[in-house]
This record gives sequence, C-alpha cells and structure tokens, in this order.
Amino acid sequence: MLTAKENMRQVIRGGSPDRVVNQYEAVSLLFHPYLMTQPLLQRGMENVVNGWGVTNSFPANVPGSFPVHTPDKIVVKDIEQWQDYVKAPSLKFPQELWDAAKAMYDAVDGTKSYKATFVAPGLFEQTHHLCSMQEALMNYMEYPDEMKDLIKYLTDWELELAEGICSHLHPDAIFHHDDWGSEINSFLRPSVFEDFFVDAYKQIYGYYKSHGVELIIHHSDSYGANLVPAMIEMGIDVWQGCMKSNNVPELIAKYGGKISFMGEIDNKQVDFEGWTQADCDKAALNAIQRCGNRYFIPCITQGGPGSLYEGTYKGIWDAIDRYNRETFGHTQEELDNARPPISIMF
Amino acid sequence: MSIEKVNDLVIRGKAKLVPAAVQEALDEGCAAQDLLDTMIAAMDVVGENFKNGEIFVPEMLISAKAMKKGVEVLKPHLTTGAAGALGKVIIGTVAGDLHDIGKNLVAMMIESAGFEVIDLGVDVPVEKFIAAAEENPDVKIVACSALLTTTMPALEATVAAINAASWRGNVKVMVGGAPITQEFADKIGADAYTPDAASAAKRAKELVA
Repeated sequence: MLTAKENMRQVIRGGSPDRVVNQYEAVSLLFHPYLMTQPLLQRGMENVVNGWGVTNSFPANVPGSFPVHTPDKIVVKDIEQWQDYVKAPSLKFPQELWDAAKAMYDAVDGTKSYKATFVAPGLFEQTHHLCSMQEALMNYMEYPDEMKDLIKYLTDWELELAEGICSHLHPDAIFHHDDWGSEINSFLRPSVFEDFFVDAYKQIYGYYKSHGVELIIHHSDSYGANLVPAMIEMGIDVWQGCMKSNNVPELIAKYGGKISFMGEIDNKQVDFEGWTQADCDKAALNAIQRCGNRYFIPCITQGGPGSLYEGTYKGIWDAIDRYNRETFGHTQEELDNARPPISIMF
Repeated sequence: MSIEKVNDLVIRGKAKLVPAAVQEALDEGCAAQDLLDTMIAAMDVVGENFKNGEIFVPEMLISAKAMKKGVEVLKPHLTTGAAGALGKVIIGTVAGDLHDIGKNLVAMMIESAGFEVIDLGVDVPVEKFIAAAEENPDVKIVACSALLTTTMPALEATVAAINAASWRGNVKVMVGGAPITQEFADKIGADAYTPDAASAAKRAKELVA
C-alpha cells in the first residue's frame, strides 16, 4: 500500500494510485519565521497592525480575521506615491528562529506527507490588503504602471522569503494562498490577470521548483477556470480550492496532466449550521463520482484543513475513508498508518 | 454628440474625463436630467455586460466611479432629489460578516440606477438595520448581504426582525451573497434574491416600479 504522499503523487502525475487522496492528508502545512513573528490574531482582538502596516481585526462575532480598511487605516493612500507608504518588513531572522521552524519540519515524517510551507497572503491579496479591495481593483485599470511597480516590489520580497525558506527549511511543497476570484468569476479579466501576475509567479514558483520543491499547491477558493492556462504557465501543480462552479470534471478532461484540482466540496455544501454526516457523505461521494481519481483530490475548498463549523472537515474525512475501505479494500488501520494523524488547522 | 460622449465615457469607466464631458454637455445646453438619464442608461449597459460575463468587477467599479464623478458636476443643476429619484435603499452586510466588496458593488449599481443609498457598512447588527429603517420612514428597500454560511443565521434573524416590524408593508427586502439561494431567500421571507450586483440593481427597480 502506498503512503499518503506516494498516493497523492500518483494521482497528480496520472500514475496508479491505490485509493482516493483524502483532502489534506498528504500535505503537512508548516510555518516559516516571518509568519511565526507576525501577530496571530485571536478572536476578540481588534486593530492589530502587521509587518506591512496592514491593520487586522478579529471581532468576537466573526469566524476569522480581516483587514480593516477605514480611510485612516488604508496603507496606500495614494497609489501614485505608493513607495511613500509601502515598506516591506525585514526577512532577517536569527538562526534560533530558523532552527525552531526547522524542528517542526523535521518532526514531520516526509515519507507519509509533503512538508509544505504555508505562504500567505499572495501578491494579489497583498495589493488589496494594502490598498483596500475596491481601490486595488480600480487601480489595476486606472494605474497599471504603478500597480506593476508595486507587484514587482512584492515579488522581490517574496523571492527573498523563498530564498530563506529553501535554504533553511527545505520543504518539498509550497502551499501558497492567493484568492483570485469570487464563486462566479475571476476578479480580473484573464488578459489583465496574466499581464500583472504570470511573470511574477513564474519567478516565485520557478525559484521554489529550482530549489528542491516538488509541488506547488496554490489556494484560491473561487471560480478560476478561465485562469487555468495562466496557472499552468506559472508552474502550479495543484489548484486547491477549485469550487464546483468551475465544472471540475471538464477542467480535468481539458487540463489533467498539466495541473491537478483539489476541491469540488464547497464549504457551503457541508459547512453550515445543523450540518450532518449525511451531508458530508453525499458531498464527498458526489465529488469522487463526478471527478474520478486522476488529477483530482476531493477536498473542502477552504485554504487549510478545517472548517467553520466544528467537525465538518472530519466528517468529509470519514466519508472519504469509508469510500476507500469499501472501494479499494483497505482497512482503517492501513489508511491511518499510511499518513500523519488528522490535523485540523482552523 | 456630447450626451453620447458622456454615455460612452461612463461605459468605458473614464472617471477622469467624465466631469469635463458633463460640463461641456451642460454648456452646450443639454438638460441635466437628460444627462443623468444617459448615465443611468450607461450603467444599465455596464450591468448587463457584467451579468453576461463580458466585463469584470474592476471595469464595473470604474464605470460606477465615472458616473459618480459625473453626478457631482450635475448635482447643482438637478432638481433636489433627482439623483436618487427612485427612493432610498438601506444596505449592509449582516452581523458577524466583514465582507464588503459584494455589498459595495450592489450599493454602487443601485445608486447608479437612480436610488439614494444609505450604506450601513459591514458587521451590521439587526438593531442597526431596524433603527436605520425607522429613521428613514420613506425607505423603499432594505438590502442585506451575507457571504459566509456562518452568517446565514444572522441574515435570517435580520429579515425576521424586519418582517416583524410594523412598517414591513412599506419596504421590500432584498438578500444576496455567495451562500444565499432563492430557496433560502424564500424560506426566510425576503422579497427578492439576486446572484450579482447588476441583477440586484435591475430587481430593485422592478420592486419599486
């Protein structure tokens, strides 16, 4: 029987998997010193400023933290003068911090799962964290040169981050966030998106690939079918978060072999008040039956193992395990022994 | 010619050029109301193009911005209230939800369609929706947005509170947001659900017709 990591590799490379990959079972998400030194917002914390000067709040009654974009808190007050406002945080960390991070990587059994560095936010997200979503989107149309310069600045910072990650932590996968759309469409017209982001991500993902990283997993829980050619060009191996609205079976037929798709189980299908195991069973089975077991990993679409409502992620996990037991004849013990213990990040 | 130019510039989202074009049209004798109508018509085109997937969010945003700039020039020449002649709309994202872009798009499109918009922002408690509606007894529509499954109960509670208000018969309730469906809207007693900002503006006009 293959380990979870070997099985995921077979699915992605179009080989011979011996079961369906169960969501994030083969991807251990790990941090790097920059994230470790940033304020981790807990529920109830408000107006916490991060290394980029972006203010975030996590009010008690909401499920996660969010950038605050009241006029006084928007970092870039004038896109034509963005250099006056945007100051990249330092990426120089003491060796002890790199060592502490490395210890977490060493603790993961690399035969069973990928050691995946978690990188967020991505370039697009950082532009709207800095400018506010509305202004950033308009800036792409009205101030393209300034936005290109800003993205170049952010890219250089990400490349420096990548250098530190690769030289100190040696991950074999990168799990990189950057949400590029809503459920129904990409935020940017594909030609505009390509113009701003393909070369930047080619550089970043290319760097990782040329420094020992086997897999680039990119998270965008959105529609993005119109961006898949760009994703392939960037070097993305797995698009995590592809929502049902993308017509995933069609994407697999069209692009399988060049990129794989991880998702199809939208949070709203299963992650709601009063959810039941039957909801998880139905969603998981439906995803597997619709999309198969080549170039596809059934997974909750959110960007990390977990769910908004307690137990939902585990409910899907149990449903996929049952499918693997009944369809491929594995025992639960075999499945558990071939992967790290279930991890709930959110 | 000038009036067509204004229409074209709004469709193309040329916010820097619209004010001068509006002023030029006024100087040439175009009626302010006709210019307002042409900008509203332009935004109808923009909305339709967005709904059909021909344009994307940034393009819709810059068109709305262009119209806003045009209306600023136009306002002194319009009769009082003409810019919001279709009535008042109260809009907000419900309690526990900090997402604003969808709500902002709907607000812009509704404003561009000829309504006066009172934007309550995000994470709006039920009481604030109710208070805003009571402070504005002439409000025509209350529009509530929820982007998370976790905030669907807050949307339900908001609509329930509006439905229980004595003035409920005077307003229409619109709902929207990624996890919201027509079925859910029906279940909680809203008057209308729309899947995108352009449809919301169109539906709002139908609701007050």
